[in-house]
Amino acid sequence: MLEVVNLTKNYKKVKAVDGVNFYIEPGEIVGLLGPNGAGKSTTIAMISTLIPPSSGDVLLQNHNVMKDPGSLRKILGVVPQEIALYGDLTARENLEFFGSMHKMPKKRLKERINIVLKQIGLENEHKKLVKHYSGGMKRRLNIGVALLHEPQYLIMDEPTVGIDPQSRNHILETVKQLNQELKTAIIYTSHYMEEVEYLCKRIYIMDQGRIIASGTKEEIKSILSSEKMIVVKFDRHSNAYIQELMNHPLLSNLQVKDSEISFTVSKDTNLLPVLMNLCEKHQIVLNSFQVEEPTLEDVFLHLTGRALRN
Amino acid sequence: MFLSLIKKQFKMFLRSPSEILLLLVMPIGLILILSFALGSIMNGETNFEKITIAVVQHGDEEKELEEFINETSQLIPFNDMMIQNIKSMLPVSTLVNKVLQSDDAKELISVTQLDSKDLDRVRENGEFNTIIEIPKGFTTEYLKSVFFEGKIPSYQVYLNESEQTTSMIIQNILDFYQYQFSLFTELGKNGLLTEEMNVPTFELSSEIKSIASKEKITSSVYYTFSMSVMFILFLAGTVASQAYLEKDSHIFDRILLAQVHPLTYLASIVVSTVLLTIVQIGILFKVSYFLFNIPFTNWVYYFLITFMVALVIGGISALLSSLNFRSNSATASNVFSNAFVAIFSLLGGSFFNISSMSPVLAQFGLWTPNGAALEGYLRLVQDDSFSTIQPIIIRLGVLAFGFILLAFLLFPKRGGIA
Repeated sequence: MLEVVNLTKNYKKVKAVDGVNFYIEPGEIVGLLGPNGAGKSTTIAMISTLIPPSSGDVLLQNHNVMKDPGSLRKILGVVPQEIALYGDLTARENLEFFGSMHKMPKKRLKERINIVLKQIGLENEHKKLVKHYSGGMKRRLNIGVALLHEPQYLIMDEPTVGIDPQSRNHILETVKQLNQELKTAIIYTSHYMEEVEYLCKRIYIMDQGRIIASGTKEEIKSILSSEKMIVVKFDRHSNAYIQELMNHPLLSNLQVKDSEISFTVSKDTNLLPVLMNLCEKHQIVLNSFQVEEPTLEDVFLHLTGRALRN
Repeated sequence: MFLSLIKKQFKMFLRSPSEILLLLVMPIGLILILSFALGSIMNGETNFEKITIAVVQHGDEEKELEEFINETSQLIPFNDMMIQNIKSMLPVSTLVNKVLQSDDAKELISVTQLDSKDLDRVRENGEFNTIIEIPKGFTTEYLKSVFFEGKIPSYQVYLNESEQTTSMIIQNILDFYQYQFSLFTELGKNGLLTEEMNVPTFELSSEIKSIASKEKITSSVYYTFSMSVMFILFLAGTVASQAYLEKDSHIFDRILLAQVHPLTYLASIVVSTVLLTIVQIGILFKVSYFLFNIPFTNWVYYFLITFMVALVIGGISALLSSLNFRSNSATASNVFSNAFVAIFSLLGGSFFNISSMSPVLAQFGLWTPNGAALEGYLRLVQDDSFSTIQPIIIRLGVLAFGFILLAFLLFPKRGGIA
C-alpha cells in the first residue's frame, strides 16, 4: 500500500499542501479531484519523490520513501500533465531512450516497446517524429513511456487534457485495461468528473491544499443525500428572476446556463409554488421542471463553491 | 544509459535544421565571406592609394656639407672615411632616401622633390598628403649641433588634417626619424660618434623583417579559426537551453524517476557538448581545408587544442544549465547566447585582431575560450611545436576545470528549484 501521512508543503508564506492524508491499495484506481491551484500537482510531485515535503511522510509498505526514493521510483510510473517527450525523436526512439534510462536490458526493452506500442495504439505510427503527431497521439505516447518498466503504481495527472473524444476514449479504456489485467494501482487526476466517475472507486477531493472529502463515489454523493437537484427551463432569460432566486434562502449551489437554471434544495422542500409565483411576477413561462439525483459535480460544487472546470 | 543521453543529444541536433544552420552553415558562410572580403587587406594585396609627400628643400645639402668641412677643417681633423660617414648620415638624404623611400616604405609612400617656388601652389591646391619644408642651412646647422654646441634645427611639416590615418602614419614616421637623429646628435656631442660608427639601422625595418620570416597568416586561415571558435560558443548556449526545455517539459523528472542521478545527467551535458564541439570544429576545419587548402600539419596538436576548448565549452554549457535549473528559466543561456558570445568574440579576436586596437583588451581576450583557442591555432600555423601551445593548453585547462567545478557545485541536487 502507498500511503501519505500529514503531507505538507510550504513555499515561503504559502501553504501549497496542508496536512494531506491519502492511501491507495494495490490494484485500485483512486481519483484526485480539485480545482486549479488546489495543490494536486504539488501532492503528486511529493508522492513521486520529486520534491521533498516540508513535513509528513510518504510510506510504501510502511517504509518512508523519502529516505530511499529508489524503492518507490522503480515501481512507480508517472504521466505528467505536460507532454514530456522529445518531439524530434520518433515514438520508438522516445521509448528506447526512456527505457534505457531505466537500465532495461536491450532484449526486454525491445519486447516491452512492442507491447506498449500496441497498448497505446501506436504500433503503426512508431516511425513518425513525435512533433508530427496529433495531440491525442502525443498523450497516448506520454502514457506509454510511463508504462515501459511495468510499474505497480501509476500516477496520471490530467492525461486527457485537450484531446479529441476518440483519443480520450482510447486512453480511458487503456487505463481500465491496465488496472483490470495487470492490477496496476492508479492515482488519476482529472478535470472531467465523468472520467473519474467512470474509472475510480474511491475519490479524494482537494481544495486550498487540503483534502475536503474522501470516500467511495456513493459515500461522496451521500454528502448531498439530504438534498435534491432541481433543473428548470424557462422561455427566456431574466436577470431579475435569477437575482430573486439567488437571494432565496432555500436554494443553494445555483448555476445558470442561458435559460436553464440548476440548484439544490432540501429534500422536504416543496419549491414548485415558489417558482410559479416568481414566474408570474416576472412574466416568464416555466417550460420544464426536473428533479435529479446529485452528481459528483454537484458535490464538488457544494464543497468548494466552484465548478471543477473553472 | 549514459550513452543513450549522448546519443539522444546528437539525434536532436541532426534533426534540427535551425541548429545546423546556426552551428555549421553560418560559420562556413562567414568564413567564405570574410576571407574573400577582407582577404586582400589581410594578405596585403590591396592597391592602397600611396601617401604622397612633397619635399621642398630651400638649400643644397651637398654644398652645405662642403661649406661645413671647409669652415671647420681647422678644428676637426677630417679624413676620407669620416667624410664618407658624414655623407651617409646627412639628415635630408636620410629622411628622403632611407626613411620615406626605404624598401618597405616605397610601397606606401611616394616622394616628390619640389622647387621652393612651388611651395605656395601645392599648399593651396592640396595636391599632396604632406609637405615637408627644409629651410636653407638646415644641414649646416644640424652638423654644427652634432659636432659643436648649437641648437638642433627644425623643419616644417604640413599635414592634411582631413586625412587622419595618413596624417597619423606620417607623424609616426617623422617622430621616429627625429628621435633617431636627436640620438645621433647626443652621441656626437659626447664624442661617441666615431669614424667606425655606421648610420643607425632603423628598428622599424628590422621588425618587419622578423615578422616576414614567420609563416604568413592569411585571411582564410584567420577567419577559419576565429569563426570556428566563435560559433562553438553558441553550442554551449544551445545545449543549456535544450536542457532547460527538458526540465520545463518534465522530461528531466522522468529521467530522475528512472533513478538517474542529477549529476550523471549534468555529466552527460558536459560530455555531449564536448563531443558536439569536436564534431563541429572538425567539420568546419575539413571544409576550410578543402576550400582554402589550409595546412593542418600536426593534427595531434590541433586536436589537443580542440579537445581542450571543447572541454571549456562543455563546462560553460553545464554551468549555464545549472543556472537555468536554479532560476527555473532559460535566462542564463539566453543572456550568454545574446550578449556574452558577442563580448567573448570581440575580446577573443573573432571579428578582428583586437591587439591592434587595445593590448589590454587583447590580454583579457586570451582568457576567453575562443580567444585562447584562436591564439593556439594561430601559433600552430606559425610554429608547429608543443612549446608554443603549452601555455594555451594550461589556460584552457584552468578555464575548463573552473566552469565544470562551478556547474557541479551549483546544480540543484534534486534538479528542481534549489
